[in-house]
Order: sequence, then C-alpha cells, then structure tokens
Amino acid sequence: MPKILSQFLVLAGLFFGTWFLLRTVDYRSLFRVDEVTNEAEQKLSELILDQMKKDGDECTSDSALALVELIRQRLCLANGIADSSITLHLLVHDEINAIALPDRQLVVYTGIIKYSNSPEELAGVLAHEITHIQHGHVMKKLKREVGVSMLGALAGGDAGGDIARQTTRLLTSSAFDREMESDADYGAVQMMAKAGIDPIHFADLLFRFSQEKGNIPKRFEWISSHPNTQERCAKILKLRKQEAYTIKPILDKARWEYLKKVVGAMKTERK
Amino acid sequence: MSSRSFSYFPPEHEAERASNSYLMSLVVIMVGLPLPIVNVIGSGIYFLANRKSAYFVRWHCAQALLAQAITLPVNAAGLYWTLAIVFDRASFSDNYAAYLITVILFNLIEFIATMVAAVRTRKGHHVSWWFFGPLTDALVRG
Repeated sequence: MPKILSQFLVLAGLFFGTWFLLRTVDYRSLFRVDEVTNEAEQKLSELILDQMKKDGDECTSDSALALVELIRQRLCLANGIADSSITLHLLVHDEINAIALPDRQLVVYTGIIKYSNSPEELAGVLAHEITHIQHGHVMKKLKREVGVSMLGALAGGDAGGDIARQTTRLLTSSAFDREMESDADYGAVQMMAKAGIDPIHFADLLFRFSQEKGNIPKRFEWISSHPNTQERCAKILKLRKQEAYTIKPILDKARWEYLKKVVGAMKTERK
Repeated sequence: MSSRSFSYFPPEHEAERASNSYLMSLVVIMVGLPLPIVNVIGSGIYFLANRKSAYFVRWHCAQALLAQAITLPVNAAGLYWTLAIVFDRASFSDNYAAYLITVILFNLIEFIATMVAAVRTRKGHHVSWWFFGPLTDALVRG
C-alpha cells in the first residue's frame, strides 16, 4: 500500500509539476490570441455594419454626428473609457433603436433621437449600449447564439449572405439575456451618475416606451426586444437612489432642437 | 513500465486476450474522442466480459481499465474547460493552455505505453506500469 501511495504521489507531482512549469509561458502572445480575436471582431463588425447600411445610410450631417458624439464623449470621459476606443455610427433609420456591435462599434438610429425628449434620455440609451460594449456582452451573445465556428466563417468571408443577415437581425432585434440587460441597466445608471446626468431620464424613456409600444410595435425594436420594461424602470429608479451625483447639462436647448430638426428632416432610404 | 515475471507463463490464447484489453482501449480512444468517458466504458465492458477469465487476462484487463479510469477526471476537466471557453463561460488563459498541453502530453505517454503493453503482452510478457501495476496487484487476486 505505501508503494502504491508513493507512486501515486510521484505521478500526481509529475502532472502538477508539468502544469506549473508550462504555466510560465505566455500563450496569449504565442498564439496571438488577442490579435486574432481583434481582427475577427473587426471583420465581423464591418460585415454587420454593411448589412445595416442596406436599411439606412450613414448620416451625412457632420454637425448632427458631432452633437451625438458630444453625449458619447461626456459618458466615456466621465467613466474612464478612452474616448477613441468606441466608434459611433449614426444611421438614418426610423426604427427606434441603438445597437452595440463587435469591435466596440456603437450604432445609433436617427429614430431614437427623434423619439427622445431630451439629450439626457438619449444619453441613457447610449450609456446602456456602452455598458454592453464595456462588459463584452456582444461577442458573448454572438458566440452563444451563432456559434464560434459560424462566427469564424463569417469573419473569414466563408459564410453566405443569409448568415450575415441573420446575425445582423439577431443583434438589431433581440435583447441580450436577462442577466446582461440588468447588468447594462445598472452600468447605465452608474455611468450617467458619474457623468452628472440624472438616471431618471433613462427610466422616463423606458416608461414612455412601455406605454406606447402597444400602439406602434414595429418601430419600437429597442424596447420590444427588451422585456419587462416597467420592472426595469422600477429597478433603475431604485438604483438611482444609491448614486450620488451633481447634475450638469449636456446640450443646451438650442443645440438639442437643432439636432432634432436635422435628423427629423432625414428620410430612410432602403437599398 | 516494467516487464516482470508472472506466476505462470500464459498460453497463446490468454496472451491474445490480455493484449486485446490494451488494443480495445486504443481503438475506443480513437472512436470516442473527444469524450473521455467512452474509452472507460469500452475498457469496463471488456473487463466485465473477461472477469471469469484466467488470472493473466483479468490482471491486464484491470490494469488497462484502471489507467483509463484514473485519467478520466483529468481529461473530463480539460474537456469541460474547453467547452466553457467555446461557450464563453470562461476565457482563454495561460493556465488553461498549460493544462491542456499537460493533459495532451500525459495522454500521449499513456497512448504509447498502451501500444507497447499491447505488443509485449501479446508475446506473453507481463507488463506492469508505474503505480497502475502495484494498484492492480492489490485489487486483482490470482
């Protein structure tokens, strides 16, 4: 028996010793894990963005884009997120939607700007989507629902157009899972508070959505894909009480009205 | 791995059946990859089918089965970790890569040892592995 035990210990020692020694190698650099992942995400996001642009062109008004950028920058800078790390795209589309894409791309439809009553409401939606980006929810969702091999084929250009369309549809019209959505709501409240924006505006927008979506469901992709809206509003209001913040205005009334006017004049052109 | 003298020299048919226990685990490894449980089931069935055979046959069936059974949790952990990464429940880390290389290395050593054992047992030699040999001695009585 002692012989069996001692030989077992030697064997186990050899196993764990080998493991321990091999742990000293930097495999992430050796296998270029980060580089390959970034390249794949970049190709994937280009592909999805191309699909999205078939339903709505990129906004040509630099001033409108600059005003939305101001809100994004305010949120990013106040929360220690490198300003250049998130790329914003403003698409001319009547759907009330904002979408986080792989490779830290954020797409905002003009529809959600038209629907928002204030820059603070729009900031709430952006904060929610930025949290999805920050917490890596986009790739997690795609890996779970599309599969790693299919994503690899898409990024490599080996998958058909149907797959690309379905993947785009998945990102634009369905929510993340309940846990990720709660996480993004919580992140949005914290992000808004740090940026000096009252999170109540985010709850207001969601509440209005929940009241109106029954009448015009098709346009309300963002909210119809996000379940239990009233429950979420209540939670946001509860979280809001835990945050300490000093309110600072984002855009003055004239600039907000200008933005609404510019995007209001744009029309969706489907290709 | 060592060749030791056995209590008797096995006849041809016993050497063949004992050798087959190792061959069985090799074949089932190839068929059952990447599921680590398949080879254990294969070796287990072969062991049960030979539980009333001669001592030499039973001994080698048991050694083959024990080797498979003990590597099962190690391989299962590797598979679970890999699936967790694929389904994004865990992320790729140096720790994971080192574990996977260690598991592959030990499986490779076991694979080669099994092949050698299959050949030598077929010739009637009694092959006893480090740790698994003494463990089999303790569990299988003549």
